[in-house]
Amino acid sequence: MSPGSAVLTARAGPAGRLGLARRPVGLAIVGLVLLAVALVAGIGGGTVAIPPGDTLAILGRRILGLDIAPTWAASAETIVMQLRLPRVLTAMVVGGGLAVAGAAFQGLLRNPLADPYVLGTASGAGFGAAIAVLIPVRALVLEFGLLHGFAFLGALAAVFVVYKLSRVGASSPMTSLLLTGYAVGSLLAAGLAMAMYLSGAGLRQIFAYLLGGFDASSWGRLAVAAPLIVLASVGILLRARSLNGMLLGEEAAAHLGVDVRRERAILLALASLATAAAVAVSGLIGFVGLVAPHVVRLVVGPNARLVLPLAALLGASLMVGADLAARLLGGIPVGVITAVIGAPFFLALLRRTRSGYEL
Amino acid sequence: MIRLEGVTVLYRERAALHDIGLQIDAGERVAVIGPNGAGKSTLLRVVAGLLRPAAGSVELGGVRLDGLDRLAVARRLAVVPQLPTLPFATSVEEVVALGRLPHEHPVRGMRPSDRAAVAAAIDRVGVGHLLGRDARELSLGERQLVLLAMAVAQDAPVLVLDEPTVHLDLRHQVEVMELVGDLNTRDGTTILAVLHDIGLAAHFFPRLVLLDRGRIVADGPPADVLTPERIREVFGVDPEFVRLGA
Amino acid sequence: MAAPLHPRARRAGRLTSFVLLPLLASLAACGPSAVVPTVPPGATSSVVPAATATPAPTFPVTVTDDEGTAVEIPAEPQHIVSLTPAATETLFALGVADRVVAKVEDIAAYPPEADDLPVVATFQGVDVEQIVSLEADLVIAGGGNPSFTPISAIEQLRRVGIPVVVLYARSVEEALAGIETIGTAAGAADAAADVVGSMRADFDELAAATAGLDRPKTFYELDATSKIYTVPAGSLYAEMLELAGADPITTDDSYEISLEELVAADPEVILLGDDADYTTVDDVAARPGWGDISAVKDGNVLAIPAYVLVTRPGPRLADGLRALILALHPEALD
Repeated sequence: MSPGSAVLTARAGPAGRLGLARRPVGLAIVGLVLLAVALVAGIGGGTVAIPPGDTLAILGRRILGLDIAPTWAASAETIVMQLRLPRVLTAMVVGGGLAVAGAAFQGLLRNPLADPYVLGTASGAGFGAAIAVLIPVRALVLEFGLLHGFAFLGALAAVFVVYKLSRVGASSPMTSLLLTGYAVGSLLAAGLAMAMYLSGAGLRQIFAYLLGGFDASSWGRLAVAAPLIVLASVGILLRARSLNGMLLGEEAAAHLGVDVRRERAILLALASLATAAAVAVSGLIGFVGLVAPHVVRLVVGPNARLVLPLAALLGASLMVGADLAARLLGGIPVGVITAVIGAPFFLALLRRTRSGYEL
Repeated sequence: MIRLEGVTVLYRERAALHDIGLQIDAGERVAVIGPNGAGKSTLLRVVAGLLRPAAGSVELGGVRLDGLDRLAVARRLAVVPQLPTLPFATSVEEVVALGRLPHEHPVRGMRPSDRAAVAAAIDRVGVGHLLGRDARELSLGERQLVLLAMAVAQDAPVLVLDEPTVHLDLRHQVEVMELVGDLNTRDGTTILAVLHDIGLAAHFFPRLVLLDRGRIVADGPPADVLTPERIREVFGVDPEFVRLGA
Repeated sequence: MAAPLHPRARRAGRLTSFVLLPLLASLAACGPSAVVPTVPPGATSSVVPAATATPAPTFPVTVTDDEGTAVEIPAEPQHIVSLTPAATETLFALGVADRVVAKVEDIAAYPPEADDLPVVATFQGVDVEQIVSLEADLVIAGGGNPSFTPISAIEQLRRVGIPVVVLYARSVEEALAGIETIGTAAGAADAAADVVGSMRADFDELAAATAGLDRPKTFYELDATSKIYTVPAGSLYAEMLELAGADPITTDDSYEISLEELVAADPEVILLGDDADYTTVDDVAARPGWGDISAVKDGNVLAIPAYVLVTRPGPRLADGLRALILALHPEALD
């Protein structure tokens, strides 16, 4: 067997360590099992603990219509169906969406340190939220308040501005995007600080939003946010080929048949949409979008066709786990948990990227 | 196969290429040489369809280039890029597999035929001993060979090389050039290479195109193109031809 | 429902002191504030079946809370949750303590009988799941802008079908009405009418005692560690001060007042209210720029140790008024 045909069986990343790495289907199953465990744990766990058996029974009875005699209190059922289930599902969707968006940004910008907020979405959302708090109007559309709507629009507007401004640079489009994103993000952060200063009483609301969380989850909000995030994520998944093409840079991608300008715009738009929707629903929760794609790449390599769906599964599980931990630790913000776990990982990642940037 | 007529490319109001006429037939092996700033890279990008000329036409396989989408171009013409940076750990197989991008299924990815093509390319270029390694950790010469394998995997009738021997040691320079020659003579691939080393070009390519300040000043066999006067005029050096050994 | 500042929380975060202040105090748009409450006894804001001879409360009942929401309570609540300290005091005063199952954290910890109740809400937030698991059938929450009880918690509780009555008093009259609303909702309307009646009598008596007296210009200090915070115009604070026979210096809804404005207003009396626990009279005199204020020069800086009562719209509100009068016009209480 010639060395070349070894590639017919080996599809892993460098020195495909785990046997699993050769079988993406196996990994997908692992991911789904992990997600299922996270789901049950997230639904059953909290300040009011519901045993896994009861959790599964309640879900089976209410969702699958199985005929199970209740051995639990009615309040447990309320907690599961009305409070925990929408919360956990929201966390899943947000975690998965942020992971996919993060992977897309990392691939587009060819920067392993990129995350979904790299082009100003975070600052834009925060600024939008702060503006909304300053406006003394309480409006509710589809269970979303003014704050969420403005955060969503702020995030999208920020990316749009960054994209437009970056087009006039002399450096490569991606470097230009990154730098413009940083500049616009800083400007918006300054605006946010100003708005917070002026907000007085509304400061607490802005803080709570910035720290992020799933406390305000509901079926109604999930019904609005989930389609947006899921559709955007699926759109990105379908464009995995373009992301792969970008691995060697924009010019090489063009040589390989990628319509770089169009794909860049579409991928940016989809990733920003998913991020903006996630941020509108649950505030600024960091590190999941950065960490999940990297962990997956360590196992399966940079092929976006594998990275994107697996990162979505991992991101969803991570977010559910982080929310559960946040609740069990006395209601601290989810963003703190993800930072505590994510920051050391991020630092470890920095140490590993010593090679890869130089020629 | 490749045909340029009256191609003019403007760059900041200056003509980077001026009224270029060039015809390369299928199966030819051509090197483009010239001093820095002569327009070699610009010519390559025009041929690859990345740059649209301000005037003139470019044809690939008898079809106008501006009528083809990127995928169609990629199936007809493969480019071995200059060594790019890789943001993530990427195995040699993954890099070579990128060459199948224009052929693989858009959503499902590589088919068995694609994987076979990747295997064949790896064998053809002889980088099988590098399998499983992270491409970022290879030597420059090894990386260039891997990129060549990627372009071979692309299975295009035309292969364009962008300064493939820059940064390479002598052994790898020769290895790459011999491989390119082999691809041309054995597989019939049309080769267009941009080279800065005129000695290498003269040795390995039967036809040279000499560019100077955006114009083709000579086009033909090395002996005809590389006359002392021309070298003196274009490169600004006094050449001395030395024959080493037999 | 207004609650005074939480000194522990404030000490924990000077930086965010200006957050806590407006959050925990009642924030009022200009509301009507009569100097002397003379509203005749009877219902003011809710459909109240009380004030009749029927001894047993009739359910289902619908009350209108301070946000104008009509809250229906289908049956006499057996598991009441109080999310404001004032509501906790009120519920206990109305004699329904045996039906209260949980409370909000209260620095003033009153009444002592409530000590054993589980805490389901703190400054950090409300544990909606706990409340649900306690099978709550009535929740009294705090409103305002920004809301004392997080709006998301109120919405979640309502979404799972628990009646939530949101109260915040911007005047004495609204505080009394709030007590009656709680009474109706909890099935203790008669007791509420009694409590309110006796409170009204107290208020009338106290207001009469200060009616003709000199009204000194008064600065009621909430905090001055970085910025200076005092009472907004049209708030419960302001009305209490007026009833106590003062002419309060007021500010806008931000609670902030600049030193220039304060010096220009030149109060004759400075009352240390919400910061009485950690600010002494000498501290005030030592502040740069404050030395020219009449109150400081004349030594009329007084602390109100019972500051919690000044804006807690519960059964002890009249005691808060009494504390203010004690500081401003002690002779009126003889």
